[in-house]
Amino acid sequence: MNKTANVVIIGGGISGCSIAYNLAKKGVKNIVVIEKQYLASGSTGRCGAGIRMQWGTERNCLLAKLSTEFYENANEELEVVHDIEFKQGGYLIVAATEKEVEQFKKNVALQNSLGIPTVYLSPKEAKEIIPHMDESKILGATFCPKDGHLNPFYTTEAFAIAAKRLGVEFMTYTTVTGITTKNGKVTGVHTDKGYISTPIIVNAAGGYSKIIGQMAGVDVPIYAQRHQILVTEPVEPLQDPMYMSFALNIYCQQTPHGSFIMGRGDDNEPTDMRITSSWQFMEEMAKTCCELLPLLSKLRVIRQWAGLYTMTEDAHPIYGGVKELEGFYLACGFSGHGFMLGPATGLLMAETILGETTTIDISNLDKDRFERGELILEPSVV
Amino acid sequence: MLERTGIPTKAEIESITPSDERRRKGPVAVIECFQKIPCNPCYTSCKFGAIREFKDINERPVLDFDKCTGCGICVVNCPGLAIFIIDETYSDTEALVKIPYEFVPLPDEGIFVTALNREGKPICRAKVVKVQNAKFQDKTPVVSLAVPKEYSMEVRFFNIDDYFSDSTYICRCEELTLGELRELIRMGYRTLDEIKRISRAGMGPCQGRTCRQLIMQELAKATGQKMEEMPMTTFRPPVKAIKLGALTGGVDNE
Repeated sequence: MNKTANVVIIGGGISGCSIAYNLAKKGVKNIVVIEKQYLASGSTGRCGAGIRMQWGTERNCLLAKLSTEFYENANEELEVVHDIEFKQGGYLIVAATEKEVEQFKKNVALQNSLGIPTVYLSPKEAKEIIPHMDESKILGATFCPKDGHLNPFYTTEAFAIAAKRLGVEFMTYTTVTGITTKNGKVTGVHTDKGYISTPIIVNAAGGYSKIIGQMAGVDVPIYAQRHQILVTEPVEPLQDPMYMSFALNIYCQQTPHGSFIMGRGDDNEPTDMRITSSWQFMEEMAKTCCELLPLLSKLRVIRQWAGLYTMTEDAHPIYGGVKELEGFYLACGFSGHGFMLGPATGLLMAETILGETTTIDISNLDKDRFERGELILEPSVV
Repeated sequence: MLERTGIPTKAEIESITPSDERRRKGPVAVIECFQKIPCNPCYTSCKFGAIREFKDINERPVLDFDKCTGCGICVVNCPGLAIFIIDETYSDTEALVKIPYEFVPLPDEGIFVTALNREGKPICRAKVVKVQNAKFQDKTPVVSLAVPKEYSMEVRFFNIDDYFSDSTYICRCEELTLGELRELIRMGYRTLDEIKRISRAGMGPCQGRTCRQLIMQELAKATGQKMEEMPMTTFRPPVKAIKLGALTGGVDNE
């Protein structure tokens, strides 16, 4: 079945749904979102579900702040069916090396200058916030009480339902098989359900963004890497904030539902798109968690899973159009932080596509920054 | 097939069915255990040596029908509720089917219920002849149903009428009710994966062992798909919940 659209968004995760909502809200008609499986089936639904404003660059801080402020009012703005379960229990980011202490103090100054209420804490003060931590393992910590977490499925659903109310069409279980162009301009999308002619395509395909780029003849400088997570049985509330360490390699939070979700990075994780689970992860995760948060050794793990981080060289997203193909826009390369940046992605991409002045300057987040060598290196990534 | 639907094939059923001759002689156990799992209480509980000794605990049980007296001790010892007793000598026209039944409320003796086959489809009315729930049964009550003789190898469960309502729990770990499930299906969620993610059904300590097939059944009913053709959720490690401290070696898992 062939049809015509004004905008086709590829990818039904948080980014695609948020972009669709924002475009529709600005009055764009005839928007189609294509999703290979079901909404939030990729990285969005597999993520750690946290959101933090504690970043090491101004750009990431501002994007996260915009998103946090949106999530604070999202239940009302999106008229949700299910509460998105946004809980601002804070992020406690611990410093384990002298280098981190130095960096974190700089981060706090930067964050405070942008209106983000982060404080620097001694190990003793950090322990008052998470009493079951082993404070002998850390040299200090930063804490922002406005950070938190929310439910990725309900949040994506909320954007999608709000977008549907505004007339956006969602094609789930639909695979993009090709992209057509003419004279350097986008002309349409082939799918297994038919052809859609369109002058604008937004590539929000997460781990598959590189493949979608290739279909359009655009080389997107990203790679997808597996990241793993585990979850425990639910227990009574024990820990309000996310506990996080870059040097010790852990993030661990208790969800409102009671379960603990924790993950860690691994430079040796495969980059071949696989999202299978490994026993090595479970063992290493257990070791790290038991050392730093000994009380949690009594919790039972009930499940582990994996998803893809879509990495860029500087751990910032790629936003905006590309010079080689008119009408082709990128919203990808979130480097593990696409869920938390969802609201900012939607707003800024909608503004960009409509040629408006963007709420936050994202001109230096374009794809070509890598060619220009203008990287904005982010020091604070797990 | 069994893994997806919980329903054994015809060939699997035939492989464990006692002969007509044996069935005419009196009560006998029918062991509907089709998956290799590390489990042997049927063998250890049998007082008559009717279940062959396991060389490997993963083996499926092998029953000697001639040694089996149909006493039913294995029925209450099977953690999988996979063993039934059938007695075709119960009356001229009816057979007795003894079913392990770990649900509340238990039916009252003497009432009539809707007897179901292995697919959960109603096949006849049946009278509850007896409900046994002695201490030695360790909370596995056994319900004896009188059914037409030709259904002795068909009836394996029953519905107390009006038993399933919108408030019936489908996912016991995450407390999803049948009413909530039906509402999600009405909202457009069409696969087990979608239902799991939006409702947490199957994300609890049992990891979907109880609700997976119940949700599939409801989805199949709503969408007209066949259960065996519907996509499943991913089976993820660990197989059994394990303490973080047990993984590192310091903490007992109990």
